[in-house]
Parts: sequence; structure tokens; C-alpha cells
Amino acid sequence: MSGEFGGNDGFYSSSDSYEDEPPLLEELGINFDHITQKTLAVLNPFKAAEHDMMQDTDLAGPLVFCLAFGGSLMLCGKLQFGYIYGIGVVGCMAMYFLLNMMSLTGVSVGCVVSVLGYCLLPMVILSSSAVLLSLKGMIGIVLTVLAVVWCSFSSSKLFVSALSMENQQPLVAYPCGLVYGVFALLTVF
Amino acid sequence: MDVPSEFRNPGKRRPKKGGTKPQLYEDTSMQPPPSEYGAHHGQGINMEGYNPSGYGGPPGAGQFPGAQYLNDPMANMAMQYGQSLAGQGTDFVHKNLEKYVSTSRVKYYFAVDTTYVMKKLGMLCFPFTHSDWSIKFNQDQPVAPRDDINAPDLYIPSMAFVTYILIAGVVLGTYNKFTPEQLGIQTSSALVWLILELLILNMSLYIMNLKTDLKYLDIVAYCGYKFVGMIVCLLAGMVFQSTGYYSTLLWFSITIAFFLVQTLRVKILPHSEDSNYSRGSKRSLYLILSISLLQPVMMWWLTGYIMFTK
Repeated sequence: MSGEFGGNDGFYSSSDSYEDEPPLLEELGINFDHITQKTLAVLNPFKAAEHDMMQDTDLAGPLVFCLAFGGSLMLCGKLQFGYIYGIGVVGCMAMYFLLNMMSLTGVSVGCVVSVLGYCLLPMVILSSSAVLLSLKGMIGIVLTVLAVVWCSFSSSKLFVSALSMENQQPLVAYPCGLVYGVFALLTVF
Repeated sequence: MDVPSEFRNPGKRRPKKGGTKPQLYEDTSMQPPPSEYGAHHGQGINMEGYNPSGYGGPPGAGQFPGAQYLNDPMANMAMQYGQSLAGQGTDFVHKNLEKYVSTSRVKYYFAVDTTYVMKKLGMLCFPFTHSDWSIKFNQDQPVAPRDDINAPDLYIPSMAFVTYILIAGVVLGTYNKFTPEQLGIQTSSALVWLILELLILNMSLYIMNLKTDLKYLDIVAYCGYKFVGMIVCLLAGMVFQSTGYYSTLLWFSITIAFFLVQTLRVKILPHSEDSNYSRGSKRSLYLILSISLLQPVMMWWLTGYIMFTK
């Protein structure tokens, strides 16, 4: 390392910084521990969430889930990535506006996008099951309603713990349910 | 279906594009445009202190392939410009929005809790047992709905509006007529009718020259309450066909008319009695009646065409 330190060309001077650089994942901001933690918090809606979990807003997990959702819809024959993006943006903007009006402390857009994206996971499960069985029958309707309720329950739990709005959880759950309901509408019809 | 996604993607990929095709950025940014020269020129300007950490010399071979995009000074400048533009944009929007819709007042209308929402929904479905319709607090200050059941709020109307769009989508889906564009079409047409109704009501309040305490947002709230009834009508129509639809429509027309008459009577009438003209109270009575009777018509108008598109 010291031999290359007095680098004559520009090429070698950067290899010194190459060894001092932080690892790639840390630079990108992807922290696998947090991702698994948050995913488990979504998958288990009855366990209480910690307050700090949502403080680092990471968008890698939500992006993966959205792509997985679009991919499983594609397997059903519906190429609707554009609609998912559009509805996602509109839903996130609406939730951001609503949560800023309703809570005492404000909330940032990144936090809203992150929470809504993580809680899309049950929708991904629903749309992958749509490949195997048609969702328009009775079982399909029950599964859809269950998935929407699961999504909205976990997202409202995460929002309430991040914003400390304890007695308003059903009020936060309902708009989340509406957003996920639109996604369910895309999946079913 | 492809058009919207292509339209949206360039916005997402903007920082990378600035690195590979400087010409695209040079037209919109403030920097001078020469293309070959642009990289060196950009480096010179960058040294003046935008982002020295990004300019780490030519990228080392061992780094990940995308590094040269981030190290490219043009991309850095593009990102800085984009960030400052976004900051300016939000400031601009906030300053101008504050003039029209004051955020702190709107916040009052969303200060609800679960018990208020439950009671208000019960009142919308069955208002005949409620006896006291006046708002107990001082009228000059907007009162948070949490404290008084009779205060209007904006949470229920906005949620009811979005639910109405969703349920309309479900109904269309059961007729196999659903495409995602339908959601946009339904939303925009319902919004247009709502805005038209609000305009007419505001104009008539202004023309009739009544002294009321009704704020603009109160009227929005009262016009939004009918969406609750519309949702139940659509659901009943989906399950019980025509008979269910018409009977729930009738019931909710009666309830929303009664609800509005009682609420507006408290807000409009007491002030017009201050004037010496006895016509004043008659005018306000006509206005209240016409507002209350307009709601069922709008309910029928906005749900009928969904139910009967076969």
C-alpha cells in the first residue's frame, strides 16, 4: 500500500482509497439486517413494532417487492408495471398528505414510501397465488379480503409506532386499506 | 398502457442520463453547452467546490461498473441542480398554497379520533334520534371534531370519496368491464361533478347574501357526506340488484336531506334573524332546502350510471 501511495499516474492513487472505502452495501445504504427485521415485522402483524425501526427509510426492500408484484402479475398475463407505479405514487402522496394532517409530528415522504412498500408483501403473496387459482371465486374473494386486511393492519401498526398516534390506528388503517384495495383490484380484475 | 410508463421513466433515470449524454442536460441547465469540451469544463467548475468527494479522479478498475457515472462531474452537477430545483419547487408550492388553503386550518378538520368517526357514521345512517345539533364551542375558532360530534370534518368525506371510486371499480369488475383506466375516468368525472356542485353552492351563498358562519371547507365537508350513502347504495345494488339499490337510495336520500337540514338550520338561520327583513329567513330556508334536495339528485346521478351499464 505504501509503495503505491506516491502514485505518479492517476490510476494508482485511487487504489489506496479503494482499500479504505466502506463496503459496497454500506455505501448503497442496503442493510440486510434491517430489511429482514422489517419484513418479519410485516409478516407477523400481531407482534408490536419498535419505534426506531422505521427511522432509516430504505427504499431497496419496497422496490424489490413492487417488482415482484409486477412480475407475478405478469405471470397472470397482465403487463401492468406502469399502473403499479402510478397507483403507488398517487397512494404514497395521498398517505403523506393525510398523515401530515392527522399526526402531531410530521412525517417524511421516504418513511411513507418505505412503510407502504414493505407492507406490499402480502399482496405479492396474493398475486402469486393468483397464478394457480382464479381469484374471482369465493375462495379468491376471501383470500383477497384477508390479504388487504393483513397489509393494512401491518402498515397501520408501523405508522402508529413511528408517529405515536395510538388511538387513531383504525383511522390510519382505513386509508392504507384503500390503497391496498386498489392494488387488489388490479390483481383480481 | 405503454405510454404512461415510458412517460414516467425518464424522470426516474435522470441522474444517469446526465452522465452518458451530456447534450440532453446542457440544454436545460445553466452551464454552457459544448459537448466534447463539456467534461473538462465541468471538471473545472466542479473543482470550485460542489462535491469534491465525488470527483475521485478516474475510476479505479476495481470499483463497481456504475462508478464512472457517479464520478462524472456532469452527473454531479445534474444531481445538484435537480436537488436544488426540487427544493425550490417545494418552497414555491408551500408559499403559494399557504395563500389559498391554510394548512393549519385544514389540520383542524382532520383532527378526528375513532369514536368521533363511529358516531358520525351512525348519525349519517340514522339521524332521527339525534337531538342537539348545535356546536358548543366558539364559532370564530375552528373546532376540532374530536371535541364535538356536530363539527364537520374532512376525514370521512375524503375516505368516502376514495371508497366510492374503489367500489365503483369493483362493480364494474363484476360486469367484466374493469380496466385500470376506468379508475382514472371515474375519479375525474366524480371530481368534476363535486367541484361543480361546490361552485354552485358557493355562488348561491354569495348571491343570497346571507350572513353565515359557514366556511368554505365546511361546505366541502357537507357535500362529501353523501358519498357514505352512495357507497352503501352501490354495495346493496351489487348484492340485491335493482330493488336493493333503489331502496337504499331512498333511505339514504331521506337521511342525508334530514341531516343537512338540521345541521344547516343551526348554522345559517340564527344569523339571519338579526336583520330586519323577514325575507332573510325565508331566503335561507329556501337555500337550505335546495341544498338538501340537491344531494339525493347528485347521489342518484353519480351511482345510477354505474349500476346500469350492462
